[in-house]
Amino acid sequence: MILVFGEEFERDVTYELVALAKRLGDYKVVVSEDFDDIDGDVIRVERLNWKVVKELHDRFKPEGVLFANAPSGMDLAPKLAGITGIPMVTNVIKLENGDRFKATSLTYGGKVLVDLEVDKPSIFVVNRGYYDPNEGRGTPKVERLDLDFEDDVELIEVVKPEEDVDISKAEVVVSVGRGIGDESNIELAKELAELLNGVVAGSRPIIDQGWLPKSRQVGRSGKTVTGKVYIALGISGATEHVEGVKAKNVIAVNTDRDAPIFRIAKVGVVADVNELLPVLIEKLREIKS
Amino acid sequence: MRIGAIVRIVPDLVMGIEIEESEIVPFKYVPNERDEHALEEAVVFKEKTGGNLEVVGIVDDELRDDEAMEEALALAYAKGADSLKKIVLNRRTFDRREVARAIADHFKDYDVVMVGIQSIDSFAGYLGGILSGVLGYSYVGGVVGVDYDGGLIVQKELGGGVVGKFRVKTPAILGVVSAERPITFVPLVKLRQAMKEMKVEEIEVEVPDMGGIEVVRFYEPEKPEITLLEGDVEELADKLVEVFKSLSLV
Repeated sequence: MILVFGEEFERDVTYELVALAKRLGDYKVVVSEDFDDIDGDVIRVERLNWKVVKELHDRFKPEGVLFANAPSGMDLAPKLAGITGIPMVTNVIKLENGDRFKATSLTYGGKVLVDLEVDKPSIFVVNRGYYDPNEGRGTPKVERLDLDFEDDVELIEVVKPEEDVDISKAEVVVSVGRGIGDESNIELAKELAELLNGVVAGSRPIIDQGWLPKSRQVGRSGKTVTGKVYIALGISGATEHVEGVKAKNVIAVNTDRDAPIFRIAKVGVVADVNELLPVLIEKLREIKS
Repeated sequence: MRIGAIVRIVPDLVMGIEIEESEIVPFKYVPNERDEHALEEAVVFKEKTGGNLEVVGIVDDELRDDEAMEEALALAYAKGADSLKKIVLNRRTFDRREVARAIADHFKDYDVVMVGIQSIDSFAGYLGGILSGVLGYSYVGGVVGVDYDGGLIVQKELGGGVVGKFRVKTPAILGVVSAERPITFVPLVKLRQAMKEMKVEEIEVEVPDMGGIEVVRFYEPEKPEITLLEGDVEELADKLVEVFKSLSLV
């Protein structure tokens, strides 16, 4: 039996886990919020914390446990592995069931895949975007369990970011990464965005540096861009970043022709973004004038 | 307040790696970026609480003298760490359960331990979370800020730019994703001075064999067919303008 722990803070990914679980065998899905269209046996608990996870793991003794590579799953999965000592695989993009599990993990910043064979029971933290969430939708059979264990971690406040622009809704997003080199070069990206009637955004290292506000972050921890064009300037394309790129057309500029960002790009440009941008901007200015 | 911070080294992806079926061969190592954020946050937390900060490097035996580990510890010293340790794992392992069990005894006396939420070479566990399970400590990952009001208040990313504030019982391990301030730059002169002055207690530990995960092969992901433009900058800019025109952007 496969035990799926739904994601508390990012609900949609739960359906992807269910889609995967259906391929692996019998399964139960544990959630702490109301889901009215999860396919299969659903266990509704009041809250999801490591004590609840441990209790249900001990109760059902699953051969495999699935968590999402998301805020809740990334906390609960390793805790369970630490307590129980059972094997744990992260960044899973493919999983098959047999005498042992066969898992594929995407690692080294998206540059390497590793095929693994894993003993049962085991824990898997699954990346987003590899299983169709629609396959996880259907009719639930809900059982409520009173497992209200107090946790050593208590949520006291949720803070939403102040937004100047909603990059998730912008049709054209010009996004900068570490390859931009210096904060002053962000002005070039802003100018390009302006010429293309778009908005400027950035990858995690740019936000960490404080060069752009948090509301402009693209990726797992930030926003998902869904517009017409995403222009990635000097962004390597780590898994956490590309999870947030769902634009219809991706144009990527990077000096490293093996950069993972090129795997999601329609057009790739092998160049130093700081050399390319001034020339490109000049040409666009000429056209505009 | 006894504060611990873990620093590790990882393959430098900018310098490149060689992907062999049985192993990944790095050309160079660098301090793990998320651990650098954990260290920075630990320094911030020391400043806030007046606590004592001990920084612990964790490294495989074959890399015990690698300059990246020396650099990571020297950075910690230069930023104000009160003491430094280096835990040397007697054998290399990709399995974070094994690392957590090997080092657990040395993390029993802290109130708060900060560690990068993950390292770029991981595929078998997150060290901080697993260590918390082994020790029975509280754990929060995705941490972007830590405060103290007599108890621990932790800010954690919940996705989509939303942050949750959590009250966390100590002792706790915190998986840091970003420090609340940009990483402080340490000038080369200060770094070299730190390398000369710092004293590092070395501890060797045995890594248990827990089994259960077998690597079949490492390989490069398939490269999808894309239009890849190469050439001089003038030529590339012209081609990009044509791409923009085809998308009705200009």
